[in-house]
Amino acid sequence: MSTNTFHMPLGPVHVALEEPVYFNITCEGESVKSVELTSGHVHRGMEQLALRRNLVKNVTLTERVCSLCSNSHSFTYSMVVENALGLVIPDRARYLRVVAEEVKRIASHLFNMAIQAHLTGFATFFMQIMETREIMQDVKETVYGNRMNLASNCIGGVKFDLSQDKLAYLLKQLDVFEPQVEEIREIFATNGTILNRTRGLGILPPEDATALGVAGPVARGSGLPMDCRKNSPYAAYGDLDFDMITETGCCAHSRTMVRLNEIFESIKMLRQAVAQMPDGPVHAPMPGIPVAEAFAHSEAPRGEVAYYIRTDGTETPARLKWRVPSYMNWKALSVMMRGAQIADIALVVNSIDPCVSCTER
Amino acid sequence: MASYLKILLRNLIQGPSTDPFPAGPTFEPDSIRGKIRIDPELCMGCGICVHNCVSNALHLERREDGHTLTCWDNLCCRCATCVMFCPMKAITLLPDWHTAHYQDDKYARIEQKSVTYEPCSVCGKKMRPVPAALLKKLYAGKTDVDAERLTHVCPDCRQLEDSKRNIGQLPA
Repeated sequence: MSTNTFHMPLGPVHVALEEPVYFNITCEGESVKSVELTSGHVHRGMEQLALRRNLVKNVTLTERVCSLCSNSHSFTYSMVVENALGLVIPDRARYLRVVAEEVKRIASHLFNMAIQAHLTGFATFFMQIMETREIMQDVKETVYGNRMNLASNCIGGVKFDLSQDKLAYLLKQLDVFEPQVEEIREIFATNGTILNRTRGLGILPPEDATALGVAGPVARGSGLPMDCRKNSPYAAYGDLDFDMITETGCCAHSRTMVRLNEIFESIKMLRQAVAQMPDGPVHAPMPGIPVAEAFAHSEAPRGEVAYYIRTDGTETPARLKWRVPSYMNWKALSVMMRGAQIADIALVVNSIDPCVSCTER
Repeated sequence: MASYLKILLRNLIQGPSTDPFPAGPTFEPDSIRGKIRIDPELCMGCGICVHNCVSNALHLERREDGHTLTCWDNLCCRCATCVMFCPMKAITLLPDWHTAHYQDDKYARIEQKSVTYEPCSVCGKKMRPVPAALLKKLYAGKTDVDAERLTHVCPDCRQLEDSKRNIGQLPA
């Protein structure tokens, strides 16, 4: 070991988001040579907790895995139980599920953008993005009644129907929201402060992205066309017209642009979903519980979420297992951080939008 | 940078974005999920809400002469699963989100409603008086049934009365 090589502990708290991961970084001068990650600080044993609650209770439990992608968990969990039960959900519920999911995705992506502005040292822009995001928070509060955990999904569909008034409010707020996000996108695409800090930072070549099995905006930022909504449509995604956003820059800025452009795709999907939504019931009754195994996956804001369930004929599952995208994505940090400056570590970490509480559950 | 200056200027003209709460009003949509309310007129004491309550906030006590449904407000996570499952629509979430309270008050923050059972007017067994709304639904279109009187007739006696009334009228 040369004299200018040293180890630097970073974390476990407040690296980028206020979630705990511990990095043991080997530096040479100012640049990072290698990274070791230690995790497990927020393990709550949720898979075991799920085995002690009935199928209905687990909808609420899985929604509390994390806050930003909470709806994706209850959504995918409901889908996996429906697959095990052989339950087909009503058409209106398919669309209502998409509405909740896309509203959450927009809020999640904008939160990540805001944190990036904060880490770049652009504090006023952080506040501006959070203010724009507040429009979506108001939508959630008005339409669903909660600001984070929408508690919209249930096994067999969605808990409550959305009235025409609420859907009209959603569309009205989207009209206010869209031009503001357009401004934010323009600043991210052209502002010198942001471009200098993020362009070319945290490079993840497509070969490494494939080898590490990354998912979501991290994979799409490296040019890999991976999106469950497009590749294996579920709920009403197959009936909606939208584009899969990919960028070829492979850097933190590419991932930023993927997320920003996805917000516009989500807005497009929301408008289509409201326009195409058929009338009818919003949930189907649960049939008896068979002995079965099932799998379901969906595209959460951070990538593919997969659920596996095994039922034994009782109302509590025999096994419930889920896998979240941040698990693969943070393995990619070791590639992204190689050669980066110490001061840029937080930005690189933020560029994968890590969700530690999901991963450690 | 120029585009950002435009935003700054606009924000300066628009003034503060934050609400003056608690000195002034704040954003309060009607559908916000606040405190839980139990309607004792409708609650039949079936317990499906308790069975599906993930946070164990609901508790049902069944007695000879009635039942009591309790919701611990500090445990409730506002998932509204009970609201969805309640066959009588006896549980609602109010838009009252003012839940700040002193530590000493934490055990007093409960929603508790009791239903007293009354003797069946036929056999005298203690029974839960049937809500008029439910009877109206059950006997909709039946002109020969006095729904008002059935409020105080227990399920066993009602079944017997129904059988007597329908005897000989079964389809051939």
